[in-house]
Amino acid sequence: MRRAFELGLAVATGLALAFLLLPMLALFLRISPAELLDALTSEVALDALWVSLKTGLIAHAFVLLVGTPAAYFLATKRFRGRGVLVTLVELPLVLPPAVAGIALLALFGRRGLLGETLDAFGIQIPLTQAAVVLAVVFVAAPFYIRQAIASFEGVDPALIDASRTLGASPARTFRRVALPLASSGLGAGSALAWARGTGEFGATIMFAGSLQGVTQTMPLAIYAQLDLDPDVAIAIGALLVLVSLTVLLAVKLLPSWTRFTSASLIRSAPSGSS
Amino acid sequence: MRRLGWLFAAALIVASCGGGDAPSDEPEALTVFAAASLTEVFQELAPNVTFNFAGSDELATQIREGASADVYAAAGPRYPEELAAQGFLEAPQVFATNRLVVVVPADNPAGIESVDDLAADGVRVVIGAEGVPVGDYTRSVLETTGAEDVLDNVVSNEEDVKGVAGKVVSGDADAGFVYITDATAAGDDLRAIELPAQPLIEYPIGIVTASENYHAAEGFVELVLGEEGRQALRAAGFGLP
Repeated sequence: MRRAFELGLAVATGLALAFLLLPMLALFLRISPAELLDALTSEVALDALWVSLKTGLIAHAFVLLVGTPAAYFLATKRFRGRGVLVTLVELPLVLPPAVAGIALLALFGRRGLLGETLDAFGIQIPLTQAAVVLAVVFVAAPFYIRQAIASFEGVDPALIDASRTLGASPARTFRRVALPLASSGLGAGSALAWARGTGEFGATIMFAGSLQGVTQTMPLAIYAQLDLDPDVAIAIGALLVLVSLTVLLAVKLLPSWTRFTSASLIRSAPSGSS
Repeated sequence: MRRLGWLFAAALIVASCGGGDAPSDEPEALTVFAAASLTEVFQELAPNVTFNFAGSDELATQIREGASADVYAAAGPRYPEELAAQGFLEAPQVFATNRLVVVVPADNPAGIESVDDLAADGVRVVIGAEGVPVGDYTRSVLETTGAEDVLDNVVSNEEDVKGVAGKVVSGDADAGFVYITDATAAGDDLRAIELPAQPLIEYPIGIVTASENYHAAEGFVELVLGEEGRQALRAAGFGLP
């Protein structure tokens, strides 16, 4: 009886692993490594890689620069409605991408809430590279902010207090104590946000359109190339699997790595003031 | 414990049964893969049929990859001929023709009156992607009329004709190239501008060789080719062969 149960568990695990991993394996088996490399160096693939990298980096800079202080504020301040705010910030996390796309159009579209004003100034956002950046920020930022709030909340308030009593300003305390102590969580959140941003498809195709070298990111190129040149679509897909695997490893390894380094930071932070 | 063991066994049985489609003769089970430009007219013609509307190229890829389609109707001869040559489709027959037009939003923000205006600085044009029939027709018309510089103003290559129409309806693009039938379907939201030259746009329909609903598939093709189909197509703005 016990054996039947154990067997059942093992079979279920096997099924789950097979179902999750076989599609990715099939992707790599579909073309030879030589064809893969060949397809990856095609103009479409290189353009898509460049667009994804450029928009991804710009979007990520926004996410980190605005998201970190915002998360610190939400994590450390206690005020009415804080819980509601945190929940609202997380809303895009569970929003279907198509809804994100149409919502961004409703705001920035030429007939949108802000779009009409922007249009009057000759600024158009839909169907431009800026639209790709906005779409990525919109879908990826919550992944980072959510994780960053949790990380800042995990910092021992006694250490913050100690830093303040020793005369460090709030800004200095944030920079020298809170930030280093939360860094592993921030790193993990950053990696997750990057992964979600790289994979962004639905909101981008609705809000930014698809133009090679301008708005056609890697996921959009997969879609566009599927019937034109399947090899290129498969090659980009395989590349994204590898990128995703790297991100996942980073998320898994970062905490253990920074736990070690931040431990030394705790000791040096308070005495490090000159 | 015993109960849990049985639960797993049951889950296994369910899992092993999934995927196998039981063959059925009911016409409701009929699945038709059709070009996006046929959306309105086909839905009106056969409300009970399951449709998959998309770019003809995408549909052809899906059929090649083994999607369970019974009938394929495309916005050009290229993909049906390819599929027929590869043995995926039975001899396709032309059932309609269409015309390519330029559409602008009702308020025409860029003041487009002719194809030449599309090449002006700052005009935002949306067309079909390469390989998508409407995109290939657009490129061939621009080439034959010597208006290739319009391509420099393209801000998005859409995967089907509805994607083009949608971005013009919303006003985010100043103009797009679609079929006259899409302009008709959009009603007052779009204004159509005729082109100086027309490519030959024919819609072939054929039964998918692997169809498990052969009888119903035949019935649908007959419906489209017959008098009822012709009337619906004409009403939607299609030409008839």
